[in-house]
Amino acid sequence: MNSNIINKYSIVKILLTALSLTVALGACASSIPTDALQYKLKHSWGHKGKANGEFNEPTGIAITADEIFISDARNARIQVFDYTGNFKRAFGNTGENSDKLGRPMNLAIQNDELYVADYFNDAIKVYSLSGKYKRRIGNSGDGPGEFNAPVGVDVADNGDLFVADFYNQRIQQLNTNGSFIRQWGTTGKTGIWSGKFNYPTDVAIDKDNNLFVADGFNDRVQVFDNRGEYSHKWGGLFGMNVSGSRPGWFTTVTSIKIGPKNNIYVTDFYNDRVQIFNTTGELIDIINIPSNGVQHSAIAMAVSNDGSLFIINHGKHEIQQWQPNE
Amino acid sequence: MKKLIMISLVSIWTNIVFAADTQYDMRVDGLACPFCAYGIEKKFTKTEGVKSVDIDLKNGLVIVKTEDGKTFSEEKLKEIINDAGFTMISMTEKSL
Repeated sequence: MNSNIINKYSIVKILLTALSLTVALGACASSIPTDALQYKLKHSWGHKGKANGEFNEPTGIAITADEIFISDARNARIQVFDYTGNFKRAFGNTGENSDKLGRPMNLAIQNDELYVADYFNDAIKVYSLSGKYKRRIGNSGDGPGEFNAPVGVDVADNGDLFVADFYNQRIQQLNTNGSFIRQWGTTGKTGIWSGKFNYPTDVAIDKDNNLFVADGFNDRVQVFDNRGEYSHKWGGLFGMNVSGSRPGWFTTVTSIKIGPKNNIYVTDFYNDRVQIFNTTGELIDIINIPSNGVQHSAIAMAVSNDGSLFIINHGKHEIQQWQPNE
Repeated sequence: MKKLIMISLVSIWTNIVFAADTQYDMRVDGLACPFCAYGIEKKFTKTEGVKSVDIDLKNGLVIVKTEDGKTFSEEKLKEIINDAGFTMISMTEKSL
């Protein structure tokens, strides 16, 4: 075969590959709708420190109708504020050993109880909203109902817990008393295919009991229906562990929440932003959270009933309220 | 008497030298989010002889101080970092 023909054939092949890759990238990237809400920063509070109202690496947030609960991770406590940022109380860093938190991460509130994923103690710790310790769910290990660094939790209406079990590379479903029901993912093994995880960081259950997983280092969201079956995924090229900063893509997903209109809110940590999607993964909006230029910003967020977002700026050790423009 | 003093001094010096604490500064690839940092921190805090662990996310550094003369080989430190899901790029060691 003539070498010129080979070269021409190779060039055509390269061009076709580049073309198909471009088409694929286009197909997998979203753009922000022109009617997207523009969010603006309303106010912020906190800075690095140990005193009440100060933080050392805040990492998780949950809200009620009038209070905001923050995982103040390196201070090993939960701090509670009103919506304007006034300090109300703190707990988790005093009392008996069982009461004490090690490294609190993502949070959930259900039936007037606060569920805290405690990374260092390999447990979900449950407190009343006033801060009274109630119970512990789980212990260290990789067996059913055990955890290796739980980092995210949500609770269904029937009381079942869904836990992102970070180092065990799985999501566990447990009943109210902590008994194992089922799991998604293969214990201790990462994977990029559907139903596998690469350090899952958070979970959210919608009103129809569909499960949304922040599949951290796979840079995607995975969805499972209320029968537990894999439904769909999004983020990056075909949702297959390809990170990036294009709209709708992620570079390390660190928390996921469901808003009042059943929209899905995702913190995209290394891209310093929150992205908002509908349940099928169609991009609705992006809120860029300026970092301090050294460390990344958006690590966790919560959505209030009026659509306001409370976002943790991790690098600045502060809480920010962002409001949609009317 | 002179001999006794000498022996005592040598003994004290030996204890100081051999019980010196050590600091390891390890550069770790991809260390930038707290989820990663806490994993490494948790592994080291559960390792016997470790007095403190500091994570410098800005520079991707893990700083471990030991106590009671405890030392670690580079292989052991790599193993701990690997167990936490990361790769150690380089390491420096100094006596405190």
